[in-house]
Amino acid sequence: MSKQENKENKKFSIWDLPDVPMGQLPPHLQLQRTRVVCKADAPIHTDTVLYSGAYASMGIDNSLHLDSFRSNFKVEVIRLTKDDMEFDMIGIDAAIANAFRRILISELPTMAIEKVLIANNTSLIQDEVLSHRLGLIPINADPRLFEYLSANDTPNEKNTIVFKLHVHCKPGEPRCTVYSEELKWLPNGSEFIKESEKVDTKPSTYTSFSCSQNSLQNFSSNPISPTEDKIIIAKLGPGQEIELEAHAVKGMGKTHAKWSPVATAWYRMLPEVVLLEEVEDEIAEELKKKCPVKVFDIEDIGKGKKRATVARPRACTLCRECIRGGEEWEKRVALRRVKDHFIFTIESTGAMPPEVLFTEAVKILEDKCERVITELS
Amino acid sequence: MDPQPEPVSYICGDCGMENTLKPGDVIQCRECGYRILYKKRTRRIIQYEAR
Amino acid sequence: MEHGSLQDPSRATFSFVDEDHTLANAVRFTLNQDPRVSFCGYSIPHPSDARVNIRVQTTGDPAREVLKDGCQNLMLMCHHVRSTFDKAVGDYRTNTTEMEND
Repeated sequence: MSKQENKENKKFSIWDLPDVPMGQLPPHLQLQRTRVVCKADAPIHTDTVLYSGAYASMGIDNSLHLDSFRSNFKVEVIRLTKDDMEFDMIGIDAAIANAFRRILISELPTMAIEKVLIANNTSLIQDEVLSHRLGLIPINADPRLFEYLSANDTPNEKNTIVFKLHVHCKPGEPRCTVYSEELKWLPNGSEFIKESEKVDTKPSTYTSFSCSQNSLQNFSSNPISPTEDKIIIAKLGPGQEIELEAHAVKGMGKTHAKWSPVATAWYRMLPEVVLLEEVEDEIAEELKKKCPVKVFDIEDIGKGKKRATVARPRACTLCRECIRGGEEWEKRVALRRVKDHFIFTIESTGAMPPEVLFTEAVKILEDKCERVITELS
Repeated sequence: MDPQPEPVSYICGDCGMENTLKPGDVIQCRECGYRILYKKRTRRIIQYEAR
Repeated sequence: MEHGSLQDPSRATFSFVDEDHTLANAVRFTLNQDPRVSFCGYSIPHPSDARVNIRVQTTGDPAREVLKDGCQNLMLMCHHVRSTFDKAVGDYRTNTTEMEND
């Protein structure tokens, strides 16, 4: 294992040092490899050391083996509610964590309103503004039960959800607000008749449902509706009326943000705050006051002396207040990030629970890989 | 051939009353006498993309 | 789509249509960790085109096989991520229901 340095070359070999453990990197290189060090101006060592032969001169294999990945990879769920979740992924790289984040935001399909047929709108909100607002309303329907609607398909019960909105503020009544609960689901399809030039054909509507969506098992028990009831769509004065039909189809966030199933999804690396020297007494008090998220704490070490400790490193937001104010602060506190520990937060809009969203995102990445593999074979 | 088969109703700019006018009528609101009348919104179904 | 020389299968550029950083960066990561790869990188010729070029140069093995193995590895990693995640969510749920029942 310990070799490589030429005997003729009088360069000194690191293995000759008494305290370097065999088969592992010396601590300063391990720090470079696994931690991002955040200095006062910019972070350093941000790249993952990918190259499998990076530490070949030391005899250490930096390549990724699937077994070591499997044994080191861990997931811990911190918080899980109906709409959002926070979990830790340990042992994975930023490239893959970012791939999951990108897929969560833009490539997971959802249902959202795409076509709005307006029969009457005498309100102050313009037609196109009203349509835009309707498109952004999240809809409580599982997109896996629907198919995509392409340009030359007919809208039918497998690819379209139809909603109706008809509100009329009577003259003499006070102004009324139109909430998203007024969007009524039409399980039998569109009710507006299409104007056709041939007079003798049967009048057709804008969709052709062959069976009612109510009859499908999934929807008979929980009808389709917007996820939130109190989203304000428009406000009507006396005598104003809105009558429209909205058709929702399946799409991806890549095409338009209304189809993104997450309010947002983000990750951050686990912060590691290390005190490089003993910080005592007044300097400790000062340090504790500096941090806006209370990362540091004071503990008594007897004889009336106080010492600062790192109590909540996870809360660190990298505001760098603790290392601002001169060189001596940079020497006392080291702000680091652990490169392979990600704190993922997913906030869902309500159509699907967040853990389902993450599982689907991983499935989509697998499908992409499979597509590449089949194309290459 | 009747060019306008049904009398069209217009909305007064002042009081908001609906006035039906035939071709050749004086353009004036029947209630308040205001001479600016607006045409009503079309009854056709217009399709928008919610984007 | 692969552009490479016919005599030297160990170096090639693969062009993926309808892909972007999502897949390319993840594949680049798994390929770089492979000891058979001497160079791996990706570029996006123009952001308006959904096209990615991945360049792979190996120490002898055909680049196509190495890329396939890299994608295979990535798929296995995803499987493992999914199963670990599901287990973690299941554990969390049982723990919280236990705590509520206490």
